[in-house]
Amino acid sequence: MAGKLGAAAATYSPSTGQRRKRPTIQTGSELARPDGRGLHQCRPAFLKTGAVNSASGSAYAEFGNTKVIVSVFGPRESKKAMMYSNAGRLNCNVSYTTFASPVRGQTPETKDLSSMLHKALEGAIILKSFPKTTVDVFALVLESGGSDLPVITSCASLALADAGIMLYDIVASVSVSCIGKNLLIDPVSEEEVHQDGALMITCMPSRNEVTQMTVTGEWSTTKINEAMQLCLDACSKLGKIMRSCLKEAASAPQD
Amino acid sequence: MVGLSLGEQTFIKGGIDQDLRTDGRKRLTYRPIFVETGIIPQASGSARVKLGATDVIASVKAELGKPNPSYPDKGKVSIYVDCSPTAEPSFEGRGGEELSTELSSALERCLLGGKSGAGAGIDLSSLCIVRGKVCWDLYIDGLVVSSDGNVLDALGAAIKAALSDTAIPKVQVSANAPSDEQPEVDVSDEEFLQFDTSGVPVIVTLTKVGGHYIVDATTEEESQMSSAVSVSINRLGRICGLTKRGGAGLHPTVILDMISAAKHVSEQLMNKLDSEIAAAEACDEMES
Repeated sequence: MAGKLGAAAATYSPSTGQRRKRPTIQTGSELARPDGRGLHQCRPAFLKTGAVNSASGSAYAEFGNTKVIVSVFGPRESKKAMMYSNAGRLNCNVSYTTFASPVRGQTPETKDLSSMLHKALEGAIILKSFPKTTVDVFALVLESGGSDLPVITSCASLALADAGIMLYDIVASVSVSCIGKNLLIDPVSEEEVHQDGALMITCMPSRNEVTQMTVTGEWSTTKINEAMQLCLDACSKLGKIMRSCLKEAASAPQD
Repeated sequence: MVGLSLGEQTFIKGGIDQDLRTDGRKRLTYRPIFVETGIIPQASGSARVKLGATDVIASVKAELGKPNPSYPDKGKVSIYVDCSPTAEPSFEGRGGEELSTELSSALERCLLGGKSGAGAGIDLSSLCIVRGKVCWDLYIDGLVVSSDGNVLDALGAAIKAALSDTAIPKVQVSANAPSDEQPEVDVSDEEFLQFDTSGVPVIVTLTKVGGHYIVDATTEEESQMSSAVSVSINRLGRICGLTKRGGAGLHPTVILDMISAAKHVSEQLMNKLDSEIAAAEACDEMES
């Protein structure tokens, strides 16, 4: 694993040991991002498949401070109580570690993350390829640093691909925050607290299809247009990174 | 779940292709909407909305509470939807739970706006009484009495009607209380404040069946859908929230197309709903 980490240093460099102060955010017209990124610049991504040995497939994703691990189990036999179905079932579960957030155990609105993940993924999985069976997707957020759901979704699709589940395409997800007049891509927690609106897109980049989209806050049509384009561009870039991560894992010698 | 024969499925899809649906509507026409307000005397505000055979009730209750420390000058609103098994046998026990949480989170997303409160249909700062100490907690409860498709739009309309029916008691704060203690408040039971609902958006759900999209789908039509996009739009024509349902993916341009169609439909729906609410309130006053 150490060798792999070294190889990926081009996209990811570990932060230095010193403890940084939580940056504050100004909401003026000239917006400086807490981590010094440009408004339309994503955080550096680190992706790796095969993080859990016992799972059929798994992936680890690290986008800045957001760290997520997803394992995929199955396809296994559906529970007896479930009715016969021609298409396979997808079961998603998202949980946070108690130390994921600054205040212990205070996890941000997790109630519908699982169903959001389910909706984002189900459109991409060829459920007909495993009838009568269930695939479990378990996501664990090790550290919540903003844009959690997009990271979970992208990581989960990587884990599904690693497990050999048939997919129409890889699923990439990116969110955009609107603060004042500015659009910020891939927001961190501090920015999410101050946001006026948020837009999240989950898409299959090579099919150019949106599987899930949510918008909160007040938006004009032109703004939505702009934000969607921004997200879709970022999604296709993220898709390429995910693809190369899978290729790397497949071409690496088995040890 | 509805079981439809192949013939029926083709009939529904073919009708939608030709802009003539099984109940004679066009693709972008709503069923007649029927609004009744003030139906629950115990609540601060309530309404019932019927949209064809879909029947929902929304109630608003205001209670005094403490503001969230991170937003000291804002009140709190929570939305909860209950799917009663009287509407459909599959809602029994935990069956309706999934739909309930889906509907409540979709409504929260559509009505409550961003984290900073921008674009919210409900002005949260108007619910604050004493900064950081006392505020109103609004509990909005939706109940699905009978379901024949398009429950989300009906719930959105019912909540809008219930909010315009809502009367929040006037509150007197005793001025001489020490600043570090919980101030004493005197809730008036005679004077009420009306809620400003001009900013509350309406929700329009566009359901994609085959190559076309329709509004206000019935259960039969919903069973044939590939995906659906719910857009909430306020009076200014701005988008306040959006959610997508259904597994199939959509092309980005189709989504933008659906948003502009939803915008167009929302104007008519908003006007229709406003006049229905006004009529219902006038009727309510005559009775009391």
